[in-house]
This record gives sequence, C-alpha cells and structure tokens, in this order.
Amino acid sequence: MKSYPYTSAKSTDKVFKYIALSFTVFALGILVVLLIDIFSKGIARINWDFFRNLPSRHAEKSGIITALAGMLSLLFFTIVIALPIGILAGIYLQEYGKKNRLAKFIEINISNLAGVPSVIYGILGLTLFVRILKLGNSLIAGALTLSLLILPIIIVATREAIRAVPDSLREGSYGMGATKWQTTSKIVFPAALGGILTGIILAVSRAIGETAPLLVIGALVYVPFIPEGPKDQFTTLPIQIFNWTSRPQAAFIVNAAAGIIVLLLITFLLNGLAIYVRNKWYKKIKY
Amino acid sequence: MSMFKLETKNANLWYGEKQALKNISIGIEPNTVTAFIGPSGCGKSTLLRCFNRMNELIENTKIEGEFLMDDTDIYDMDVYELRKRVGMVFQKPNPFPKSIFDNVAYGLRIIGEKNRNAIKDKVELSLKNAALWDEVNGILNKPALSLSGGQQQRLCIARTLAIEPSVVLMDEPASSLDPISTSKIEDLIYKLKQKFTIVIVTHNMQQAARVSNKTAFFYLGELIEFDNTEKMFTDPQNQRTQNYVTGRFG
Amino acid sequence: MTRLQEELKQLRESLSNMAILVTNQLKKSVYSLLDEDEDLANEVIANEKRVNALELEIDRDCEYIFALLNPVAHDMRFVFSTLKINADMERIGDYGEGIAKLVLLGKKAFDKSLIKEIKLKEMSDTSILMMKDATKAYCEDNTKIARSIFARDLELNEINRNASAVAEYYIKNNMERIPQALLIVSIIRKLERVGDHITNIAEEVIFYKEAKVLRHIEKGKNNQKEI
Repeated sequence: MKSYPYTSAKSTDKVFKYIALSFTVFALGILVVLLIDIFSKGIARINWDFFRNLPSRHAEKSGIITALAGMLSLLFFTIVIALPIGILAGIYLQEYGKKNRLAKFIEINISNLAGVPSVIYGILGLTLFVRILKLGNSLIAGALTLSLLILPIIIVATREAIRAVPDSLREGSYGMGATKWQTTSKIVFPAALGGILTGIILAVSRAIGETAPLLVIGALVYVPFIPEGPKDQFTTLPIQIFNWTSRPQAAFIVNAAAGIIVLLLITFLLNGLAIYVRNKWYKKIKY
Repeated sequence: MSMFKLETKNANLWYGEKQALKNISIGIEPNTVTAFIGPSGCGKSTLLRCFNRMNELIENTKIEGEFLMDDTDIYDMDVYELRKRVGMVFQKPNPFPKSIFDNVAYGLRIIGEKNRNAIKDKVELSLKNAALWDEVNGILNKPALSLSGGQQQRLCIARTLAIEPSVVLMDEPASSLDPISTSKIEDLIYKLKQKFTIVIVTHNMQQAARVSNKTAFFYLGELIEFDNTEKMFTDPQNQRTQNYVTGRFG
Repeated sequence: MTRLQEELKQLRESLSNMAILVTNQLKKSVYSLLDEDEDLANEVIANEKRVNALELEIDRDCEYIFALLNPVAHDMRFVFSTLKINADMERIGDYGEGIAKLVLLGKKAFDKSLIKEIKLKEMSDTSILMMKDATKAYCEDNTKIARSIFARDLELNEINRNASAVAEYYIKNNMERIPQALLIVSIIRKLERVGDHITNIAEEVIFYKEAKVLRHIEKGKNNQKEI
C-alpha cells in the first residue's frame, strides 16, 4: 500500500500541540509562582485583627478596616450612580436610537472611552468634581469619577446583551399589540438581564482595582478613620497596599501581601459570581 | 356591510426602490381559511404583514392603497388595537423565554387584565383551543423553551388566541416543523376556522390544498388567481396557476 | 378525526345511499313486470334523474379528495374503488330504467307461463340478492360476502344461456306473441349485464381491502382457492 505524504502534516500537528502546551504551562507557571510567593508571605498575617484594625505606623497593628470600608462605600455610591445611567443609556441607544451615522459615531466613541487610561478619568474628576464642583477629595467625588470610568463598560455590556436578544421575540411581542415600552420592559430587558448583570459585575470588579484615578483626585493614603458620609475623605485597599509596599520595613511587605490576598479573594469572588449568573441566565433563555 | 372581514384595494408596496406588491385587490371572507401561495419572493408574506401593519417595523417601506378590516381603514385605527384584533403566528416558533403559563398570559397582561382567575381560565381555554392543554397541563411553570418545536409553535398559537383576535395571520407556520407536528397544526387550523378568520401563507401547495377554503396565487408581486381551493387545484383558469400547482415551476 | 377521515366517512355514506337507491330501482323495475304495475315502472323512470345526480356528486367528491387531500395506501384504494363502484352502480341504475321502459312497451301483454319457463323471477331474485350482498360487502368491508357473489353470478349466466333456447321454443308455438317474448329476452339480457356489474363491484371491494386485482380472472369455479 502506497504511503501517502501526510506524515509532515501529522508531525506539524504534534509540534504545534507541544509548543502551545509549553507556552500555557509557562504562563500558568508564572501565575502559580506569583501566587505561591504572595500566599507564603502574607497568609500568616491574616487574622481577625488584620480586618478590624486601623492602619498604624506599627506593621503588626496595621489593619485594613478603613481601606475596606472606604472601598465598599465607594463601590456603593459608584453603583448607585453608574448603574441606572449606564443601563438606561444602553437601552436607549440600542432600542430607541435611530440607526444613522451619528449613532454609529456615538457607539464607536463609547467603546473608545472604555479603553482610555484610567488616570485621564482621574484628571477629569479632579478638575470637574473636586475643584469646579468643590466636592473636595471626598467619597462622592471618587464615586463620580469611578462612575465615569465604568459607565462605558456598562453601556457597552447593556447594548451587547440587548443586541443578543433575537428580533423574533420583539416581533412576537409587537404582533400582539404591545407598545415599544411594553416590549422593551417585559421581553427585551428580562432576556438581556443576564448579560447586563455580567457586565455590571465585571465593571465593578474593574472599579475595585482602580488606584491611579483615585490617587489623582486626592484619595488619602493614610486614613485612620472610617468614612461616615459621602463628603468624607477615604482610602481604598489598592491604595493601602500601595502605601505598605512603599514602606521600608519588611513587616509592611507582609501586610501588603496579606492585603493582596484579600483583594485577590474579592476579585475571584466577584468574577465567580459573574460566571455563575451568566450560566444560570444562559440556561434559562437558550435560543 | 361588506361581506369581507379583510380587504385590500389597489395595494402597492415598495421596499426602497423595489416594488414588492403590484396593485393587489383581494377580499377575505369571515370564518374561512385563505391560503396565499406562490414561489419565493412573490409578495405573499409581504401582503400578509400589511394586514397587521407589521411592515411598518421595517425601515424604508412605502405603502399605497386601501386596507380595510370590517370596512374600516386600518390606517385610521390605533395600530396597537389593530394588532390585538389581528394576531400573527410566525414561521419559526418564537416563545418568550418565560414559563409556558406566562407566555400565554402575556397578551392578557398587555391588555391590562388583572384578575388572576380570569387569566388562569383564559390561559387554559387558549391552550385547549391550540390542542396543547393535554400535553402541558401540570407543567405550566416549566420554561417554554423546554418544549419541542411543534409544541412551541402550538404554544405561540395559544398565545395569539388568548387575546381573542378575530383574525389570525399565519406566516408559514409549519415550515420549520417535522411532518407529524405539521399535520397536527393543519388539523388545528382546519378546526379553528369555526371561530376565527385565518389567512395562511405557505410555500407548500399540498398544505394549502389540505387546510384552506380559498386559495390566492401570487407571482412576482401580482395576484394571478383567487378562487375556491377546490377549483384552484382541479381546474385553475390561469395557465401560470396551472403550471405552479402542477409543479412545473417554482 | 382528521379532515381526510371525515371526507372518507361521508364518501362511504354517499355511496351507500347510491347502493340503496339503485337496489330499489332494480327491485321496482322487475316487480313492475311481475305485478304488471305500470305506475311502478314510471316511478323507476322518473327516479333515474336522482341516480344520475348522485353519481355526478360522488364523482366530484372523489375528484376533490384526490386533488386536495392526497390519500395514500388503503385510503387511496378506497377512493379509487368507490369511484369505480359508482360507475358500476350508475350502469345498474340505467339497466333498471331500461327494464322499466321495456315493461311499458309490453303494455301488460306478458305471458306468465313464459316468464316462469324462462326463470325470470329466479334471475331477478338472485340479482337483487347479489345487489344487497354487494352493498353489505362495501359498507362492512366484508370480502367474504364479496367473494360469495362470484358463484351466484354463475347462476345468472346459466339462466341467460338457456333463455335463447326457451324463447325459440316458445315462439315456434306462439307465433302471435313474438313481440313480448322478445321483450322478455331483452330483460333477461339486461339482468345478466346487471350481474356482471355487481361482480365488478365485488372485485373492487376486494381490491380496496386486500390490494388484490381480480379483474379478468375466471371466478366462481374450481379456482376459488386462488382468488
């Protein structure tokens, strides 16, 4: 039996497989090494005191309570501001807006905004919210700045989720005499909800990690009190970690590592939640 | 008082530059099943969608001519009212991603029905009318998308029937279904004509022959022939009709 | 019930009505001869219109069922057979009318002894019995009864064969009564044709039920097993 010259294709196949595998192992390996490093450095420090203590000059007594409180309050206000505006804007642009050149222009630019370096938002926030509106370096200014940052993400996620809803559903609704608002609110929005929620969670987890814009608007690095209202000054966990890493004492590095572990945990939790929500929604509305 | 439930006089329609309907005049009698047949692109679906003004949802369409329902110009009516009186079933089943019950109840809630018992009763009645009740009684809270294709289409029919339209328009309702589901739907259509006026677009001539009382043959946007189904399939008057129904083209 | 099933049911009823109508035509026509009842003969002639109208209606129904509902398998054979049986029945009705017309021509001058000799009553009784059996076979889808008809047709053929000899003998001895003798022979011939058509009906019933074609095969004799 004549042997066909496909052995070269077969061996190329194998080579590619091994190259890809080795790159993957390499990348994962680096990640694993980093994680092991962080965990080994910081895990000892994690105890209830770490969570409850205020920051202090003594590394062993320093805790992340103010940073956590600041971060959670900041997130709260950011969500309250960005969510309604982002979702409604997304619904309007996708469902109600006329599909002309202007609309396309707007769509492209919103996507662009999502890619703008976050420090630019910081500068914008500093000028507009801190100085012109005289809000100072408060939680509310930080929240407004972060809202601007994540607004494009929410709008794009909302639009994509709504775009993914098949037209046949809208037709079915209109065919029964429903108005545009009834169709949008009762059919389109519920169907798009999973995608929208996923987008929100991802936007929020992005906001958690933002340090640069907050520093620019003046978030404090050393905050020995828990913020009580929107006008108060604040700090966040990434900033707190940044602070600790710039200290010379080795003990603060341990704190920083512990802070990173907490931050990673929160991020993983949020992403896991996003995946869970997306899967559950996906099962519900398999088209 | 005209003898027609639906009527159009000198209907013309353009999608942009292309003319899809050319001077169509046709009258649909009440409590009949009328079939629109013809090769692809002949305008039958386009004409169907004129009767509930669904063509307005497509951009760049221009419509001329008179469209009447119960002798009233449908462009003088509130379009949402019109669509509640003229229901539509689409080619591919499109149940909402909700439960079976909520799908059928959707229309009732849209028109403002609040009484829960009334809704429950009407849902049951519609599912019975659509020959689906026996198969879904007891699993009404399951997602509609868990049903088979044929069941989903009957669910869409039940959903349309729930708000008690007087006319039901069907755009190739069985073309995406298997033969057994198709024949169930055909039996259903044949029985429904006692209570409703039905217009069905189909590319399957044998289906038109099986379920309809009157048949209209369209070609390239024109109405070629319109007569009792028996006549159309045993002795059509126009040569093009004869060629089409005998399968010589299209 | 699907639409096709409803239409088939109605078709069966229509043909049953046709069968009853035609059987009565046949009965009345021979009794108009045996009882010398000219009113009865006129009734048969008047009724022929109804037979023709019903034949057209059943033809048209079969046409529509084929064109619109595409019956297949035994449904198709049923409509096919009904169409052919319809034609046979209409011919039987024609013969009934024909006999009635011959009766009127005879003007009550028929010789009862000839009628007895030529076995006309036996022939007509047998043919009416065959007609009833054929109707029953169709209505009940009973092929056993259908097959019993073939043997009886042989009786009719026998009487028909002997009729010429009987008539010839009679005419030689009754020269003044030739016309009515000839009329009686004509009636015998018509009854024989009626028997043939009833046999056709039986063949169609067997075709419908068993998809077996028995046309042009000699039946009723020793080859009973093969059919």
